[in-house]
Amino acid sequence: MVFLTLSCWIRNRGPDRYWKVQEVLSNARHFRGRKNRCYSLAVRAVRRAFVYATKARKIKRRNMRTLWISRIAAASREHGMKYPALMHNLVKSSVEVNRRVLSDLAITEPKSFLSLAKLARAGQQEGFGAALGDGKEPPGVFSRIVTLQ
Amino acid sequence: MTSRGTPSRFLQSVLQNGVGRYVCQMKRISLIFSKNGQSSLGAREFIEEGVVDFAQKNPGTVVYVSPQSCRIPKIVAEYLNGNVKEEAITSKTSQQIAELITKLTNQSGLDIIRIRKPIHTDSPSIQGQWHPFTNRPLSIGPIGPQKQQAN
Repeated sequence: MVFLTLSCWIRNRGPDRYWKVQEVLSNARHFRGRKNRCYSLAVRAVRRAFVYATKARKIKRRNMRTLWISRIAAASREHGMKYPALMHNLVKSSVEVNRRVLSDLAITEPKSFLSLAKLARAGQQEGFGAALGDGKEPPGVFSRIVTLQ
Repeated sequence: MTSRGTPSRFLQSVLQNGVGRYVCQMKRISLIFSKNGQSSLGAREFIEEGVVDFAQKNPGTVVYVSPQSCRIPKIVAEYLNGNVKEEAITSKTSQQIAELITKLTNQSGLDIIRIRKPIHTDSPSIQGQWHPFTNRPLSIGPIGPQKQQAN
């Protein structure tokens, strides 16, 4: 008698399960708990991590901007001005410095930031004078609105 | 894929290369190809035409040409900081191989991973970095030599 069906019962599984598993686990090695070792837990955690990473690219830009804004606000409050006033008056004085550079100046170049704050303060006072005063130009300043005659 | 999961580095040049004389960071380049094999055709053409000019133009780089019986022709570039970069040149034209080699020559050997900031300064602050006492007025006056109190 020859047993022929025995060889039909042997299954050939895939040869690279190890590498497919390592592909996922290598992204999970810095996680906490069993999700850095056990494949089923790691698969779910890695997928969430990638989703968060994708979403975070937009959020990073938002967070950086809020960080810059809070740093500029703190620096300008040291000089007695508030952030909205500072930005509005810088824009009015046509100083187009963005928030990233302003926050870097506030950290590494405090004197330059002080001079910018003073410029903004002067613009603010001028604005107050124009709004509350009599409509005359401040003394010693000739009008910026130059009309060709 | 995640910023924490993948390695990253800061922008730097190797030992301030370029401030003084520029030193080519590639120390050795080996062309491994086979003498008969269609995938090495571009490699063989490049060796016929362009290798000698390249070696003369870059006197600081050693060029090794090693014909072996191999399935895939390779370029192995070694850099002064010890990094080794292998590139397969299967079925590439001589022109493409030349461009690849110029690209490898212009690289420093630093890892090609995410660079955290596109800028680097050794002196970030000129006026003095901010500290909590920068904009505070002094609480005591200027400090001078103490007057000795007569008792």
